[in-house]
Amino acid sequence: MVIFYAPKLGNEEYEWEDGAAGWCGDPATGRNPRFAVADGATEGFGSARWAQQLVAGWLGFDGPDGPDGPDRHDRYGERAAAPPTLHPDELRRWFALAQARWSADSQVPGASDLARLKLARVGSFATLLACELSGLAGPAPRWDGVALGDTVLFQVRGEHLVTQFPMLAAEDFGVNPDGVSTVPDRLAASVGRLARHGGRLEVGDRLYLATDAFAQWMVAAGRRDPRALWPALAALDHPGSFRALLAERRGRGEMANDDVTLLRVDLVPARATHLVVCL
Amino acid sequence: MSQGTYRQPVTRSDPGCIIVLFDRSDSMKATWSGTGASMAVGAALVLNNILLDLCITATTEVNAPVRHYFDIGVFGYGACLTNPGEGVESAFGGSLAGRGLVPLPELADHPLTVREEPSVDQMSVSAKIPIWVEPVHGYRTPMCEAIAVAGAHVYDWATAHPNSFPPIVINITDGMVTDSPYDGATLADWVARLTAIRTSDGPALFFNIFLSPTRSPEVIFPATPSGLPVPGPDLFGMSSELPGPMVANARADGIDVQPGARGLAFNVGRSTLLRVLQIGTRVPDRPY
Repeated sequence: MVIFYAPKLGNEEYEWEDGAAGWCGDPATGRNPRFAVADGATEGFGSARWAQQLVAGWLGFDGPDGPDGPDRHDRYGERAAAPPTLHPDELRRWFALAQARWSADSQVPGASDLARLKLARVGSFATLLACELSGLAGPAPRWDGVALGDTVLFQVRGEHLVTQFPMLAAEDFGVNPDGVSTVPDRLAASVGRLARHGGRLEVGDRLYLATDAFAQWMVAAGRRDPRALWPALAALDHPGSFRALLAERRGRGEMANDDVTLLRVDLVPARATHLVVCL
Repeated sequence: MSQGTYRQPVTRSDPGCIIVLFDRSDSMKATWSGTGASMAVGAALVLNNILLDLCITATTEVNAPVRHYFDIGVFGYGACLTNPGEGVESAFGGSLAGRGLVPLPELADHPLTVREEPSVDQMSVSAKIPIWVEPVHGYRTPMCEAIAVAGAHVYDWATAHPNSFPPIVINITDGMVTDSPYDGATLADWVARLTAIRTSDGPALFFNIFLSPTRSPEVIFPATPSGLPVPGPDLFGMSSELPGPMVANARADGIDVQPGARGLAFNVGRSTLLRVLQIGTRVPDRPY
């Protein structure tokens, strides 16, 4: 798994308002691999924190040592809840817990009057694409996921797109995207609008999870020339090459100037042996 | 009429510009139907709410500065306070008095005061809000001069921000122009000069909101002048066509907007004034 990201052109690195997280599972405990990408709304308040809280929560990554670490308490001292399944009732419970933690954020007491007004009137929201892989050691491995908004999963086999979820055309991106809100009154509606999908996996498949600007470009580029697109994305091996790709496409006007995130999962028959950190 | 794309997102590197022309003529002292207060008081209340909305939109995180998404100008025409008499002046007070366009972060930091004000929609509910503009009324309606003043600021701003979303000028009035021709040009001439100024994203936008002290049928974003009482047809002719993002805003707000709709709201009450200003000041903040 690898995560590439970039803020809007002209913004600082810390102003990237997406969230991305992945965990490759643990056969010893039976916990499946999970991946999530979220896009915090620019017009929201604390959108980066909200997006990152959502993706971390999907992994059950509430403590500093990860989902199986000894510290299973969150930073508010509460016992961290197990990550949700894909069942609507569990997702509803999980969103409610996330909203409660959000409203209790320890940073809020230090906020300005304007910030408190924004928090009360608007809050935040983020698109979400979350998926789980299961059955990887068996005869029928698969992925299953939920989505709200225009963050997209692409399943690619060789040079062919197997599945796109949600199925959005290039012109469908960016116009009033749906999302998970921090406002409790909007919770039920959000859960009701969650899209669901899944599919069979094969060794060698790649999953790409991308926020709107990059996903929109992928849809358009995949339509134009899939034999060029998918090998190019599979070959991305360094943040520098990803940033170069963005600069080129933004410069040509092919990609909107927005925060960008691309999470790639390669399905290989053996566990990864190296962790590479690019500084 | 618009001939622009109006797709440029408002960002700190390419901020937007909003100018409100605020009628402060004597007739604004009339009581606004159903509110128990004058139109001058009601319009100032709505204007302060819109300025607060813009500040809130640009507030993104705890301890982060308000983002410079807009330069804002509010000009009153009719009664003036700085040089008492009839004319046009910045409607800002306090440390912003006399300023033309003010960057949003500076505006957020310098309200005149913060006080309890009634809700625009529910008179029985009140909340503390910052005040930047106070109600004033007197004299006649020098609308041409107001557009000329706005045009000078719009020209300078568009020159300095050639790739931004075009400037938005919103005229809030309850009456007929009293200074046309001004400096040799009619009201229509001044509007044509204003809307000839452009950025790479399109010409400057000029919207009109006509207030009525009595309960009259409201007309919002008409696509034709037919049926509008005086001065509706003239205001229709001066108003820019609503660009795509604002048509989307209006439709999302439940307003039936027809192709060719103009940025005109006629005979509006206080809550409609707020809705129309919200639609007219909400521009793309993320790429389409």
